[in-house]
Amino acid sequence: MKTISEVLKNNLPGLCYGNRILLPFEGIVLKLVIEKNLLRDFSPSSDKVYINQTDEFLEIYFKEYESLKNSLSKYETIKMVVVEKGSDVFDFQNHKKIALHIEENHRVKIEEITDDILFIE
Amino acid sequence: MKAISTKYYFWLILIVFLFGLNVDIQSIEHFSSVRDSVAAANSITDETVHQLPEPYMVIPFLVLLLMIATGPIFYSHFWERHYPKISVLLGLIPVIYYLFFLKDTVSLLHSTAEYLSFIALLGSLFIASGGILIRVEKKSTPLVNTIFLFIGSVLANIIGTTGASMVLIRPFIQLNRNRIRPYHIVFFIFTVSNIGGSLTPIGDPPLFLGFLKGINFFWFVQNLWHIWLPTIVVILIIFYLIDAKNKYQGENENTYSGKIVISGARNFIYLGIVLIAVFLDPAVISWIPSLYPLPFGIREIIMLLIMIISYKTASIKILRDNEFDFEPIREVAFLFIGIFATMVPALQLISHEAQLYGQQINAGIFFWLTGSLSAFLDNAPTFLNFLSAAMGKFSLDLASVAHVKEFVLVDTIYLKAISTAAVFFGAMTYIGNGPNFMVKSISEKAGIEMPSFFAYLFRYGILILLPVYFLVWFAFFS
Repeated sequence: MKTISEVLKNNLPGLCYGNRILLPFEGIVLKLVIEKNLLRDFSPSSDKVYINQTDEFLEIYFKEYESLKNSLSKYETIKMVVVEKGSDVFDFQNHKKIALHIEENHRVKIEEITDDILFIE
Repeated sequence: MKAISTKYYFWLILIVFLFGLNVDIQSIEHFSSVRDSVAAANSITDETVHQLPEPYMVIPFLVLLLMIATGPIFYSHFWERHYPKISVLLGLIPVIYYLFFLKDTVSLLHSTAEYLSFIALLGSLFIASGGILIRVEKKSTPLVNTIFLFIGSVLANIIGTTGASMVLIRPFIQLNRNRIRPYHIVFFIFTVSNIGGSLTPIGDPPLFLGFLKGINFFWFVQNLWHIWLPTIVVILIIFYLIDAKNKYQGENENTYSGKIVISGARNFIYLGIVLIAVFLDPAVISWIPSLYPLPFGIREIIMLLIMIISYKTASIKILRDNEFDFEPIREVAFLFIGIFATMVPALQLISHEAQLYGQQINAGIFFWLTGSLSAFLDNAPTFLNFLSAAMGKFSLDLASVAHVKEFVLVDTIYLKAISTAAVFFGAMTYIGNGPNFMVKSISEKAGIEMPSFFAYLFRYGILILLPVYFLVWFAFFS
């Protein structure tokens, strides 16, 4: 399993199938923003999102969507605050802001959010 | 979420509007320049020849307002998926009623023209400003924020509240990225998106309608600045006091270059063209051709072209950095097509009542009535209806430019009260003014949890704005 830093450094892509996103790293998701929906309830009872960490990848289901590819516009991204597994989640220095661009052929471009993109933790 | 098929509902209601024109085109021959977006300006005279709607026809409007208020809170999934259909279907109720029961196509044509003009202006400003990226590399402090909002309030009079909101909301969030709170956005809506724009006809649509009816362009700044300035100052002092308690700056305190970087400056030219196009109206410039009986004109065509050109020529990087998306303008387009259609009977009934009781109401009551209705209805026709009622007190007719000019000379207190209230109270709710919704939407996409409709109304509108407006009333109109 790769770390978030490795994925970002090597520009490794994720995958997207329908409403499911697969990210090739281990991490603790603290916040998600998709369109104008702010998601912070990641409990099993959430009717908006389901997150599952497997040995191979981190998967996120956006339950209110049928197809993320069709729902998000060309320039829209899914934004998230995530912490590397094993890092101190309570240290804000470890909070990484990541943008996910849904591309063609089920690819998801993963990139760190710079100050150019508005995303407030 | 986008339900693609809902666009057909959008066109459906417009087709029904236009169908209505064809079946009853003879009845509007007397209406000489109906296309003007501003045609509402003539509505008092024309509408009086038609039968008044039944009071129960305001129910679709009330239902729509209620659903806009409650949908995102209590049934958000359903609302996000179906609001376009709900808005359009509720809008169809008064459309059918006017077409087939009242046989009144003029009122519908007014509303269609107003809507197209409204959405063309908002759409073109939204898309053109989406290609501009302003970065303010300064440390956020209460003073810097206060100055920013003040400059935004002034700018709102030059490029309109919509233009200023779209250009400045992202840099304002960027500036405050380490300490942003919902109140930042709320005070932005108060000042830049609403109150700021009360000094020129460009600032806010009601004042522009007044300008088209014959009020001098500079009348507003000459007569309202002494109300505008203390109101803005009081609100900014409140903002400063709240912001001064917000100490969190995050971890990047030493990385501010102090620069203001503007990318996509070419789009300011497009914004300029849109603002010039606002004046390309047969009611303002006589040689501008009217496209009557089409419910749009040269102005709307230019704005449509600007939408296309500015989007096609925008930098991909800027669009990506801005996360440009049509959803905010789409949301406004769908919700306001319902609002514009369902409010036709509400406005006619208000107009009728205002005419009946105009003699008995003073400037203070005009202020509160115009304001309270502008908070929930479109403030442009509300402004005109109460202006008509106020002119009626002096036996003057809104349809006559000469009468409007005379009214301005006779007694300014009523015009001041109506103008101030129509603009100021747009800040009371998210639906009070077009840019409010867009600013909310952009902020939410940036990860800011905005207050709900009711939370905004009660926690900010009533708690902060209403006392300030009470002072305005007491000082100037009591």
